[in-house]
Amino acid sequence: MTIILCLIVGVAGSILGFVIGLARASSIRLLRWISAIYTNFLRGIPLLIILLFTYFALPLLIPGAVFSQLMSGAIGLTLFVSAYIAEVVRGSIESVSRGQYEAAEALGFGFFNKFRYVIVPQAMRVMVPPWVGILLAMIKDSSLVSVIGFVDLTQAGKIVGTTTMQPLWAFVVVGAVYFFICYPLGRFGRWYEARLSVSLARPPDELQILAPAVSGLLDHDPNEPSPSAGGNK
Amino acid sequence: MTWYLGDLIPYLPLILQGLWVSIYVSVASFFAGSALGLLAYRVKAGESATLRRISAAYIEIIRNVPLLVVLYLIYFGLGQVGINLDPLWSALIALTINNGAYVAEILRAGFDSVPVGLREAAKALGMNSRQTFRYVVFTPGIRKVFPALTNQFILLFLFSSVASVIALPELTNALMNVNSNTLRTFEVFTVGALLYYFVSSVLAVGSRVGEKRLFRW
Repeated sequence: MTIILCLIVGVAGSILGFVIGLARASSIRLLRWISAIYTNFLRGIPLLIILLFTYFALPLLIPGAVFSQLMSGAIGLTLFVSAYIAEVVRGSIESVSRGQYEAAEALGFGFFNKFRYVIVPQAMRVMVPPWVGILLAMIKDSSLVSVIGFVDLTQAGKIVGTTTMQPLWAFVVVGAVYFFICYPLGRFGRWYEARLSVSLARPPDELQILAPAVSGLLDHDPNEPSPSAGGNK
Repeated sequence: MTWYLGDLIPYLPLILQGLWVSIYVSVASFFAGSALGLLAYRVKAGESATLRRISAAYIEIIRNVPLLVVLYLIYFGLGQVGINLDPLWSALIALTINNGAYVAEILRAGFDSVPVGLREAAKALGMNSRQTFRYVVFTPGIRKVFPALTNQFILLFLFSSVASVIALPELTNALMNVNSNTLRTFEVFTVGALLYYFVSSVLAVGSRVGEKRLFRW
């Protein structure tokens, strides 16, 4: 159940967060304001309050609506996650240099095409590592939906703990399961980041131009004395 | 549904009391957790391989396991081996352990960004590792770390709401009680959300002002 919830929220939260992040970086002032209020407010209150709100209060706002625990948990988590993702999206879009926007405009790209082909692909590289981090935090935060009675991993652990009278082992196992889900994901994020910084440090095009000239130099460790570079220093 | 805050007024002391407990718990576990985090960071950067591994394991495990599970483990789990802690202590310990791991990571990121050249210079001047840390790494490092630390404090304050599930009478718990007494669900949680938002905004502004005031060098 934790996995189902996380898949729903991961997808929905990412899309919503992406749209709101774009709105925050847009040139329309009203959009920018609304999205700024949205992200600031949601980032300033605890997830638990959001979840309690969507579970207890939201059905009152929409008369006749009945939300399952999965539904209200998913809505609450999606709202929460989207606010954090929006911040990441905004930050990475702003990290794309001014010149790229101007170049896109000079080439006659419209607003949509400019973002689709020029800005977003570049922002994506900056965006992915923190994005993975947020999804990771989301998996852990999803444990809070157990509070509104949704039987996720944590709640299951609690039930097992009380029925078997072995709460210590139940929670150790639950913790281990979370660990084995989150740790590889975290490693992936770090690996991706490391790969990214390599590609940023050495632009591949330049390397190809220089390739014939430096290929001999790159074959061996520069700290070791080169066999061919005898007295040529 | 009509909007009516009147029912909430008799419960105002309860809510403010809850807010106080929230702040108190987060401040206490922030300082304890920061001390733990500093220790974990120093040990991880230290000489002993065993200690380094223990510290790395601590940081990785806590960062990859939800706070709620740790809290349940301490509150319900430890009861099984005869250690019965009351909600306040369980919450303090869980939040401290949690905060320690995150602070250790923040410190690592901040202090490791101090150029290697400075460390080497300190070594050349004959400083030992403790002096190097104290005078060369810590002082410029803390300025880089400060915004992340205050941000961590805000997150900790928000996450202290999790302690409501083990019946610690903090803000969220107070709100749930008021909710079940008055049935003014919408109003109660709106007020609660605004209170949390207010405190975290004040902290965020305070952090920015503090950053400008404290680090002028």
